[in-house]
Amino acid sequence: MRETNLLMNEMARPILSLEKVHKIYRTKASLFGRSGMEVVALSNISFTIERGDIFGLVGESGSGKTTAGRLMVKLEEASSGKIYLDDVEINALRGRALKGFRRQVQMIFQDPYQSLNPQLSVLDTISEPLTVHGIGDGESRQELVRQAMKAAGLSPAEDYLHRYPHQLSGGQRQRVAIARAMVLKPQLVVADEPTSMLDASISAQIFNILLEMRKELGVTLVFITHSLAAARYLCNRLAVVYRGNLMEMGPADTVIQNPCHPYTQALIDALPKFGDCRDVKPYGTLLRVDSEAREVTGCPFYPRCRKAHRIKCSLEIPPLREIGDGHFVACFYATPGSRGEARSDDACFYGT
Amino acid sequence: MALLEVQDLSIGYRTKKGYLQAVDGLSFVLEEGTSLGFVGESGCGKTTVGMALMGLLPPNGSVSKGRIVFEGRDLLKMGEEEMRRIRWRKIAMIFQAAMNALNPVKRVDKQIVEAILTHDSQKDEEEAMKEVEGLFQLVGVPVERMRDYPHQYSGGMKQRAIIAMALACKPRLIIADEPTTALDVIVQDQILAETRNLQREFGISIIFISHDIAIVAEVCHDIGIMYAGQLVEYGPRDKVFESPGHPYTRALLASYPTLTGDKKRLTPIPGETPNLIHPPEGCRFCDRCPGAKGQCKKESPEWIEISPGHRSLCHGSP
Repeated sequence: MRETNLLMNEMARPILSLEKVHKIYRTKASLFGRSGMEVVALSNISFTIERGDIFGLVGESGSGKTTAGRLMVKLEEASSGKIYLDDVEINALRGRALKGFRRQVQMIFQDPYQSLNPQLSVLDTISEPLTVHGIGDGESRQELVRQAMKAAGLSPAEDYLHRYPHQLSGGQRQRVAIARAMVLKPQLVVADEPTSMLDASISAQIFNILLEMRKELGVTLVFITHSLAAARYLCNRLAVVYRGNLMEMGPADTVIQNPCHPYTQALIDALPKFGDCRDVKPYGTLLRVDSEAREVTGCPFYPRCRKAHRIKCSLEIPPLREIGDGHFVACFYATPGSRGEARSDDACFYGT
Repeated sequence: MALLEVQDLSIGYRTKKGYLQAVDGLSFVLEEGTSLGFVGESGCGKTTVGMALMGLLPPNGSVSKGRIVFEGRDLLKMGEEEMRRIRWRKIAMIFQAAMNALNPVKRVDKQIVEAILTHDSQKDEEEAMKEVEGLFQLVGVPVERMRDYPHQYSGGMKQRAIIAMALACKPRLIIADEPTTALDVIVQDQILAETRNLQREFGISIIFISHDIAIVAEVCHDIGIMYAGQLVEYGPRDKVFESPGHPYTRALLASYPTLTGDKKRLTPIPGETPNLIHPPEGCRFCDRCPGAKGQCKKESPEWIEISPGHRSLCHGSP
């Protein structure tokens, strides 16, 4: 009994948590004496990811979603705030502990044409992490490589083991990248737009491989994407980011079927659709289109938001608050079920 | 008379490994003021079609047979000088990632004025500048930003400037090759709405090339699905989406995640696209087709009319 309780506790503990994470990039002072500028890539981000989650980070280019992913795998350091993996703060990790962390956390990058070393064969690419971490010997490594390749849909392994990246298609390359990430049996994998360079029919393969891996290996996934439709397909929870701020977060189905932040609503309005409803904007929350950077003291979406109230929204940053079961929104005026009026989603086809 | 009629067009590239048949036997008709979308995955030949219509195939590419009849005249029979007069004045193209095509050291308005003056020697600079102002209003770039340099523009604004440039000579036909691929959804939505407006207001015909079915569906009247260099299905948008005739179209639709409706498991298309240097005999999709029969491997399929204007290149089509 006690053991099962312990197990339950273990299961419920978040694998990764971010607490008030900020990331600020400073541009170098220019030759002509202009001092360096600060670019806030992430601002006050806090969330937790549970074991076994597929957690989606959705946002447009420049929203900070990739930066968040790079911080999670410690490719970069947060400017302030804390990130914990299994209750251990990752910023302080050094030496042996850091190497242990690197084994637990892996990343899959966007562009498989650039993320693979052209000089290494598939076998060398996938077994390299095993060598680095001193796992197994020559023979057992090849066995682990074969297992990882099978899980990534590269079978029979013999067909691929001795090929080089230039002999592979984009989809095959990305599967090699997945196998390399998975061969260490990590606990957490961050996949940064893994399919944005691939055709739809190939993307579907990659999605299904990731789903399968979560089921078989119990790995926790962070899926970074610009596509709400892809996030809906893969994720059980998702967070929408805009200009470095967390706007809305919750169970994936809730956020997509009942988006409560005007920005999430604008994103859904903008998706291509066809048929009679193609000019219908179900929510109509977007006031202005241009998305140029300008200083905002209050809500980052305020200059483009039709629902914004001038004084409050322009001066104060709305806190993330819970408006439903696990559903968080950073908007003063969002209420549960604050839908647009002209909903006719059944008639529409939304693509990526 | 149709604005553009393409008959049995085949295009190939000479490569180190042999002759690559990039487009094979393509035929379609584009009526004045309508839009046609070509959808297909990488390597299906959709960009090659656009380049051939513009007469801009790379040096190792050439049209091996067929006709491209534009306003009653075959473009393939024209000399380079004559083609130059048609290009941009009558047929304009918006290229993939065109926003990187702006000259970074020239103000945006100057670049477009230059484009107008190059093609119309009757106008002076002042007139041309007036026109540019009108164009910027049309595509939704604030007029006070006209004199900026490209780096001061966001991605969406650059793409709008490119559209303005394509419109500068008031073409009859615009070929847009993945014009929104590098843009965010909100900006993409605006550009697509702009495209539809142009069509409604000026009756410009559009050929829209994209890998994304949903985008083409939003803009085009007719849709052509391309696979391995061939057109495999062609018809009015609603027909192609609601009752797709070709197994490839069905497979493509089933591999897209959607935002509404049941969360079905996506079915990827097994296998790979065929090698176009040595294309397989028979149907090119048959190795990946769930319904392939013995006949499919041996004989090339013929076009079958499913309903008026809706046809499919498949042995098994209903």
